[in-house]
Amino acid sequence: MKRRVLTGSVAALALFSAGMAHADKGNDTLRVAFTKELESVDSYFNSAREGVVLQRAIWDGLIYADPHTGEYSGNLATEWTWIDDTTLELKLREGVTFHDGSPFTADDVVYTVDFVANEANGAVTQRNVNWMDHAEKVDDHTVRIITKEPFPAALEYLSGPVSIYPSDYYAEAGPTGMGLKPIGTGPYKVVSVEPGKRFVLERNENYFDGPKGQAQIGNVDIRTIPDVNTQIAELFSGQLDLIWQVPSDQAERLEQMGQFTVANESTMRVGYLAMDAAGRSDPDNPFTKLEVRQAVNHAINREELVGELLKGKSIPIHTACFPSQFGCAQDVKEYEYDPEKARELLAQAGYPDGFATEFYAYRDRELAEAITSYLNAVGIRTDFKMLQYSALRDLNMKGETPLSFQTWGSFSVNDASAMVSQYFKHGELDDARDDEVLAELDIADSSTDPEVRKAHYRTALQRIADQAYWAPMFSYNTNYVSTAEVSYTPTADEVLRFHTMTWN
Amino acid sequence: MTAFPDALEITGPTPGQQLRRRMFGHQGFMIGAVFLVLLVIIALLAPVLAPHDPYAQSLSNRMVRPVFMGGTWEHPLGTDHLGRDYLSRLIYGARVSLLIGAVAALISGTIGTALGVAAGYFGGRVDAVVTFLINVRLAMPVVLVALAVVAILGGSLSVVIGVLGLLLWDRFAVVMRASTLQIRGREFVAAARAVGCSTPRILLSEIMPNIVNNLIVVVTLEMAHAILLEAALSFLGVGVQPPTPSWGLMVSEGKNMMLFEPWLVLIPGAVLFVLVLAINLMGDGLRDVTAPENRN
Repeated sequence: MKRRVLTGSVAALALFSAGMAHADKGNDTLRVAFTKELESVDSYFNSAREGVVLQRAIWDGLIYADPHTGEYSGNLATEWTWIDDTTLELKLREGVTFHDGSPFTADDVVYTVDFVANEANGAVTQRNVNWMDHAEKVDDHTVRIITKEPFPAALEYLSGPVSIYPSDYYAEAGPTGMGLKPIGTGPYKVVSVEPGKRFVLERNENYFDGPKGQAQIGNVDIRTIPDVNTQIAELFSGQLDLIWQVPSDQAERLEQMGQFTVANESTMRVGYLAMDAAGRSDPDNPFTKLEVRQAVNHAINREELVGELLKGKSIPIHTACFPSQFGCAQDVKEYEYDPEKARELLAQAGYPDGFATEFYAYRDRELAEAITSYLNAVGIRTDFKMLQYSALRDLNMKGETPLSFQTWGSFSVNDASAMVSQYFKHGELDDARDDEVLAELDIADSSTDPEVRKAHYRTALQRIADQAYWAPMFSYNTNYVSTAEVSYTPTADEVLRFHTMTWN
Repeated sequence: MTAFPDALEITGPTPGQQLRRRMFGHQGFMIGAVFLVLLVIIALLAPVLAPHDPYAQSLSNRMVRPVFMGGTWEHPLGTDHLGRDYLSRLIYGARVSLLIGAVAALISGTIGTALGVAAGYFGGRVDAVVTFLINVRLAMPVVLVALAVVAILGGSLSVVIGVLGLLLWDRFAVVMRASTLQIRGREFVAAARAVGCSTPRILLSEIMPNIVNNLIVVVTLEMAHAILLEAALSFLGVGVQPPTPSWGLMVSEGKNMMLFEPWLVLIPGAVLFVLVLAINLMGDGLRDVTAPENRN
């Protein structure tokens, strides 16, 4: 009797799990895992990569940039012209409706732009929005965006982080409401949001025929699973169809197994060491000395990090920006791996026996440990501190980190301003505070002549490299692992695009 | 009074001989002691025994498998995720574990014994205060407090030792108090008091020798406890900080590749298990050996 009950329940369990295992393609539901908890779905109120993924699915920008060629085409706007250096006039697409059925008009653009450009409303990444002053309605389907200063990278931002929200709903719900029940025009509608845990999307059947194209997969079910091993185990057991940001070691093994599709793409994310050259943490800290900063640069073996740890499409980086970004000049001083020279430089700076310093990091413990090993080898003794991103960001803003391992993904904006101008214009995160760099960047950011911009970014980047304010190290890559049933070609900008995925 | 007759001369083994005989006859004690002595020797001779520098990173030699899984004798236990020799890190890790176990037990033993003996001997208000302190201490979950303190002060070897030393005294206090209570009413204590011995002398010469066997058992228990807690804290990333080799940290670093290279977790886990088992076996054995009348 007892045994029969047992076999019965085992059979039921097997049936149950088998049922779960076949619930993907049959139900037209793609199951995806996120590693990090997302603070808010409202794309202006998070700075996480996962937020960008949802933003591209739920909302649309005025302009669309082709992820492969970088060419601009109309998305919510169909035509645009610069009326003068600071006024961009856009013709809006007609017949577009939001997920709640309300029509998309110039009022929505005006409300969204005015709301996010107002610093008091607290959009998290000001760089994305603070170049806009306000927007003006010309008629129902014509709108003008006024920039504070000439801002040549405007189209790049309008096709990236700036997406348009429904005015009536946003005014009523605000960022909190938008984060819990997002409404947009995008190819996917939000069915439910469990903050930080689970996001369920379904195809927007009324999506306009824009450059993104119609979504093919009916439903997307995203769960937050922080541990990579758990993600892989769920992939094995058929509970997940797609995982991404898989570390290279695991991705390699999964590929060897032969039953999963593993794709590797580069990203714009650059890993670098930030050093307190301005002496914010302590006016006498070793990093205020040029020789010490150069020694750090010489101590890191970039080729080895890329070749052995990051692998894939990562490349060594020597600039404070990603090479594909507009204006990211590559003819800057490069510091080759030379631990002997690093030790000499330290001795010249007055540290023949090296020195001890705090070393902060927030992600990729393995990389962080490898970097500290390089530093320890030349005599820089590191007190290793691993913090949460938000905690480290707070310390950074207060200028309390002498040395930290940072990364920046530029929000996939293909313009050097998204990185170098984010960090070297005397903001809270600027540990260099170099007036020359600031002056060069001011010209480069606001000039309308592409050649002038390039020239001044080059001067700024060269000075940053000469002064060794940072030790740029490498670019990241992302591994996308999916079951054989999913077909997806990743792009080089670290954005999962659900609307381009199909079933095999 | 005449001299003692010859017939009264004490025959048979001395107490020391008896103790030795019991020790060597106790299987659990011997197994534990042999392992522990071995580990202590390994830890002391780490620089001689370790085949490689435990900090030397070699990214082109990452996760080489141990020799029993098809590796080479160049790295008998393989290499970790940064290409550091696993055997060398294990050997140096023994130093960290034993140091933490010994020092934490010493600190907490001193605090706990002082409080417990005082409470048991003086009774009354002293006892009430100490009992209250023990209750307060028992109400705080050790791991949680350790996590909080380490999070505030930052993880390092000395912080972990300090935190564990200051947290693990409760069992010492409880056991020492109970043992002292049993002893303090005995005739020889009353006699010592009657001949005018000072309180410190009574505590040190009359009370302590009679409760020290209990103390030794608790010391071994708490050593094992401290070693496990250090491993747990390091596993959670708030204990000993990299690149210091610590067994708990090694388990934590190996866990990312657990699905594909389980030995990265199994090897330090097994060593940790053996060390804690050895200490516990020895503690159990010591109790049996020093207090045979309590043996069941």
